[in-house]
Amino acid sequence: MKKITTLLIMLMIFIPISSLAIADEAEEENEDSDIDNKTVEEIKIMNNSLGAEIRLLQLQKSIIKNLLKGEMAVEVLEGLGYNTTTLEAILSEMNNTLEEVKAANTSSNESVQIFVELKSQAKNLTTQFRETIKELLDGEKLREIRERIKEMVSAELENISKMIRNKIKQFNRNQLYKLYGIIGEVNNSFVKKYLNGNVSLAEVKLQICKTINQMNKERRYEIFSEIKKGNIQKKIHAQASIDNMKNKVKGKGNGKGK
Amino acid sequence: MNKKIISIFFLLIILLSIALVYYSYDKVITDEKQFDSPVETIDEDNVSEEIDDTFIEEDEEIEIGEMI
Repeated sequence: MKKITTLLIMLMIFIPISSLAIADEAEEENEDSDIDNKTVEEIKIMNNSLGAEIRLLQLQKSIIKNLLKGEMAVEVLEGLGYNTTTLEAILSEMNNTLEEVKAANTSSNESVQIFVELKSQAKNLTTQFRETIKELLDGEKLREIRERIKEMVSAELENISKMIRNKIKQFNRNQLYKLYGIIGEVNNSFVKKYLNGNVSLAEVKLQICKTINQMNKERRYEIFSEIKKGNIQKKIHAQASIDNMKNKVKGKGNGKGK
Repeated sequence: MNKKIISIFFLLIILLSIALVYYSYDKVITDEKQFDSPVETIDEDNVSEEIDDTFIEEDEEIEIGEMI
């Protein structure tokens, strides 16, 4: 009798524990959404150093833009007699993040991890700055400052924008040659026109689509499958990088617990 | 009394087994669904979507939010 009662109690304890374990597993799976979809899309091209270089340069540009805006806002606030110590501290941290982005090695296997971490850092600092300035000024003054910094012009920003545009053109040229390789015909003059800016990317895409759609059904299917395969491979690579990052973070977390 | 406890005990075991079987069955179905996409018929939109995915837009930017 006693034995049966003990077994019964044990079973009653075991059921909620097992359901908790199942729920925990589901929670772990949900952790995947920590990295937003936009970032996952962005890291898809980072499977080669040119792609990594483009993403890190774009991140650099976004940070520089925000730093300039922040500096201008601080100047205006100082003129109005506000205490800007906290805002300046945030800008100084943002500057450190910018230096880290500049120093990142684009051919390293860890470039994806570096990009995700530094992007997240830059986002957090931007939010911190926005929240702090909101506490200092009312809506009217914020609008005024927003208007003033709208007309911001910077040689540094223009240079980096040019650099990014050139790198993207190189990247797209490589992709175009890959597509031509799959299709089995090359249009060098068209590539040159794209690189010189005489043909837009939209026109390039349209031309490729037309060429594929003019082919017979079997050939079209073959080419489509080959292009899709390449795109899926990029997605797999991006997912693998995210998993790798998470494992590293988990490893560090476990290490700390010990 | 003894019989009642034993029957409750077996009932619990049955319930637990049903719960576990349902959980594993549900997991298998979910996993299968992920790979079970219908056979595609390719139209111009499909081709254009894949082409779009191949290139990067020249004016693309990384969004980190607005300062003000």
